Amino acid sequence: MAGIASRRLAKELKEIHTQGCPVGIQLLSADNFEEWHLSLEVMGDSQYQGEVFALKFRFEPQYPISAPAVQFMVTDKYKSPVHPHVYSNGHICASILGTEWSPVLSVIGVCVTLQSMLASCKKKERPPDNDRYVRHAPDNPKQTRFHYHDDTV
Amino acid sequence: MKVTIKSWNAIAQWRWDTGKADQDDADEEDVCGICRVAYEGCCPACKMPGDDCPLIWGECSHVFHMHCLLKWIGTGQSKQQCPMDRRPWVTAERKVAPSNSS
Repeated sequence: MAGIASRRLAKELKEIHTQGCPVGIQLLSADNFEEWHLSLEVMGDSQYQGEVFALKFRFEPQYPISAPAVQFMVTDKYKSPVHPHVYSNGHICASILGTEWSPVLSVIGVCVTLQSMLASCKKKERPPDNDRYVRHAPDNPKQTRFHYHDDTV
Repeated sequence: MKVTIKSWNAIAQWRWDTGKADQDDADEEDVCGICRVAYEGCCPACKMPGDDCPLIWGECSHVFHMHCLLKWIGTGQSKQQCPMDRRPWVTAERKVAPSNSS
């Protein structure tokens, strides 16, 4: 059943095209209803001044009932932000992408949340278990059962 | 057979009574937060709006297409919570507004 995800995503895409993205967020590609790329920048004073990141969203046909798989892209052009909840392979430990996902969230809503997660970062460091996690991480971060760290970081 | 509609005249319109005072003059239509389709439209699984694709009201005051909400509540991930406020979902008695139509 391709219906539910593609219709919802078509609506989100139309909204992005008519209303634009929030400051610091840009659509890089949305050529289909399976994978979208967006760029993310933290505006104003932050640990990430001058850095631009890219997010990869992968959708299942049941989106938004099922959460999208979201990760930072690690390519020649984009790096994974150094953050206590972001692994060097781009995987993100954030409860809204897992147990706290809600179908009223959207692609832009997730971007804004991740933007503020970066904006409030005080110290740039990797998660303590980065090396161990990255060595065995699945391709799709949704297959990881993250143990959520405190949300104050 | 291909039918071309040349003209039509609207004689009535209907809306779900979502209990919001401003719904009568709201130009922008309210949408289901899950599928983002107007309440008066239907969920992605249905073709016909109306009684076959009704709304569901929560005690928390949030409203969704019933089919959308049930699809969510049916997943383990939902933890039976309202998608809007994450409070336990309790379906409200459907409020029937006092009829003041003539």
